[in-house]
Amino acid sequence: MLQQIIAIFIIALFIWRLILQKKKQKINNNEFFFWMSFWSLGIIAIIFIRQIDSFLIYLGFSGSGINFLLYLSVLALFYLIFKLRLALAKTEANITKIARQIALDQERENKNN
Amino acid sequence: MKIFCIIPAYNEEKNIASVITRVKPFVDRIVVVNDCSVDKTAEIVRDCDATLISHPINRGQGAALQTGNEYALTQGADIIIHFDADNQFQAEEIPEVIAPLLANQADAVLGSRFLSKQSNLPAFKKNIIMPLARTVNRLFFNIKLSDPQSGFRALNRKAAQKIKIQQDGMAHCSEIMHQLFAHKLRVSEIPITVIYHEFGQKFSGGVRIVKDIIIKKIIK
Repeated sequence: MLQQIIAIFIIALFIWRLILQKKKQKINNNEFFFWMSFWSLGIIAIIFIRQIDSFLIYLGFSGSGINFLLYLSVLALFYLIFKLRLALAKTEANITKIARQIALDQERENKNN
Repeated sequence: MKIFCIIPAYNEEKNIASVITRVKPFVDRIVVVNDCSVDKTAEIVRDCDATLISHPINRGQGAALQTGNEYALTQGADIIIHFDADNQFQAEEIPEVIAPLLANQADAVLGSRFLSKQSNLPAFKKNIIMPLARTVNRLFFNIKLSDPQSGFRALNRKAAQKIKIQQDGMAHCSEIMHQLFAHKLRVSEIPITVIYHEFGQKFSGGVRIVKDIIIKKIIK
């Protein structure tokens, strides 16, 4: 019970910081709603940890609910890194296009001068 | 027939002048794409009989080749040759490489280090890296060519128009081969000689190529 309270307290701190960032307009609506949903789900999962335990036993898993949440978090992190890598690749491709255009325009200018 | 030679260059102040001098007798125009070198490459090229295009930031050899292709096409190139700036390729072999294009027997000619001519490939490269690269090409692109990573190639106008190099780094070799076959262009392999002054692409570079190929396959 104490562990659950501590976990909820920590998440509440994150949510508080999130609201502050939104107030200062450091993040947009989409980011705010994404992270708010993420942390809210976290609180719900912690409150209903025993029910998750029971559900996992029902499914035939031996691990506890908290382990399950940990595995889910690792999976989510991998997914986020992967998405980030793809976004980075697209940005890199766009940077190349801009660099190429600048180089070709510069050559044209040099020729005209 | 307007024959252009594209030379991507990054920090090649020691070699670029001699490469230009050696290539010039065999082509109509030389285009050096300076990939934001931090040495005197650009200054040296300005004093040579070559067109200089400079990337404002370093984008990699594949990106430089695509820049060169686009420029050469706007200048009416009929044949585009890709040639390295490190003095490892033999300029005297350019006529042999472009011969199938001039005879209209191919749309693209790829130089190969593994046919009749002998290159002084480092043993690790020859026996480990190259077989692995061939496997990657077969796995990802179903390409069965003798040289999986040759940078010495020539394209006719049709091929150069169809090929869009999106791999900014060294994975462009595999990408070009893949696009040549995907566009059903006529591809020919010609033996070339490569004189290695240093090891060149390392195993880690090969790993990066595979990573780039996978990422590009996913984001397509």
